Amino acid sequence: MADRRLRQPHGAAQVTRRPVVASLARRRRAVAWLTVAGLVAVLVAGLVVAVSPRRPATAQEGAAVTVQRAHAGSGTPSFNKRIVLLTIGSDSGAPKFGRGGSMLSGRADALQLVVLDPARRRGAVLSFPRDSYVPIPGHGTSKINAAMAFGGPPLLVATFERLTGLTIDYYAVTSFDGLTDIVNKVGGVQVNVDMNLRDHFAGAFLDKGRRKLNGGQALAYARARKTLPGGDFDRSRHQGQLLLSGLGTFQRQVAENPAKIMTWLDVLRDEVKTDLPFPELLRLALLATKVPPSNIKNLPVPGAAGMAGGASVVHLQPSAYALFARIRSGKLS
Amino acid sequence: MVAYVAPRQTSSRTLVIVPARRNPERRPAVVAGFLAALLLTTLAAGCTSGGRSGSGGQATGSTAAPAAPAEPLEVRLVATARVPSGGLSAKQAARQAAPGLEKFLDRYLTEAYVDAAGGKADWNGLLGLFDTPVRASARKQLDALSLGAAAPEVSAVRPSRASARAVVLYGAQRPQAATVRLAFDATADTAKGSGQVHLRSVLQLLATGEGWRIAAFDSRTGPPK
Repeated sequence: MADRRLRQPHGAAQVTRRPVVASLARRRRAVAWLTVAGLVAVLVAGLVVAVSPRRPATAQEGAAVTVQRAHAGSGTPSFNKRIVLLTIGSDSGAPKFGRGGSMLSGRADALQLVVLDPARRRGAVLSFPRDSYVPIPGHGTSKINAAMAFGGPPLLVATFERLTGLTIDYYAVTSFDGLTDIVNKVGGVQVNVDMNLRDHFAGAFLDKGRRKLNGGQALAYARARKTLPGGDFDRSRHQGQLLLSGLGTFQRQVAENPAKIMTWLDVLRDEVKTDLPFPELLRLALLATKVPPSNIKNLPVPGAAGMAGGASVVHLQPSAYALFARIRSGKLS
Repeated sequence: MVAYVAPRQTSSRTLVIVPARRNPERRPAVVAGFLAALLLTTLAAGCTSGGRSGSGGQATGSTAAPAAPAEPLEVRLVATARVPSGGLSAKQAARQAAPGLEKFLDRYLTEAYVDAAGGKADWNGLLGLFDTPVRASARKQLDALSLGAAAPEVSAVRPSRASARAVVLYGAQRPQAATVRLAFDATADTAKGSGQVHLRSVLQLLATGEGWRIAAFDSRTGPPK
């Protein structure tokens, strides 16, 4: 178009129109360059945004809607029946305390029957005096702690089943070394020490009150007997108390850090012998996070000191058998 | 315990997420990519139009807007392990356990969010990832574990973050259990617009013959606080 105008025969027109055409051309070029520059700028900005780290859309960026209201929930394994676990403290297999032999063939000096009702989240710990004089299948009548030495955990389980009428699902055995290591590895246990203890025999020197016990102190608390007013009965009650204190410590630690379950399972794996398959152990540990220790009663089994064949023993009282009957019927308190 | 950061490229599974077409909102990256492509096309057209073209200035190459890119779901996992004495080192155990855990968590998030969009899921796939003794409890609490009741309203879920920290209890030969803290953020598209969905969970996992299963959970879902 411009070229055709330049070839027009009228020079005046050419003279007058040439600057206008040149100005228009410059303006068009400027506009074109500005457009290109603008597009390039937008393109660069777009690419910068495109390669920048992703971030979720926000309300400012569009019509943000609430897709889902807030929900919270938790779940632990459910068990369709009562669980009965026999926990055993063996007097053997503890090199740190100069006790040789196998943990599983020693005498069972700490005996707790843990009965859990998962549905009601309640339970009971029956603490048995180790000198309980009871029938042992195939071995007449003897102290209950001898059953494991006679036939290992299976015979001890059979002895308890005959004595209580309860079916024992699993057993778990540890030693002096095991108990001290467990307590030390989990950082100690909080125990409500129920009396002033000055027991040189067990090495227990503790003042009454809430105390954080290390492994050695916990073992001493579990072993002290000779200086206690209730003797073997006080000792077995302390053992049950220690078990429940361990549960409380476990729950506090897991509530603070759920991965602590792995720490406890790791420790138990190293220090405890059990016939609990690992999946059941994990499920029980998870269940244990939801059962308040206050819902588990520590019940010393009633007995009376006596003699049998020149040895001091504990004769279980009729009330002990009544207790077993109540537990069998599902009454855990 | 030795920390092991799972290599992202080798052990993460990539899932293809199809973006919702009805959604009026697009991610900034998608919009910017579209704009960049449009501008490139315009520039190319401008350049070619300067020359004389018998074809009327048609630009070379495709001028169609590109399809929105697929979004990967990648669980970034940091694993540590507790091992028995005499076996693998903690570092080796964590390294061995990490890919399986990542795969499981990918599957969980896929079932709980990505595949749940549209509400077609009957949740059996998700519930199959739970250990039997906790499955009934999980079924009652799907809203705290997944898109839940919101799923039918959601046309697509576009993940933006999935990260996990795991402590693995390793046995003699293989993992036995793990505690996993899982964090998942995504944008969910609905007919009314898009919004964020979040999941924050602590999962207690049990290794079974069929792979990992969730034995217990403590979980929260919903919009950001």
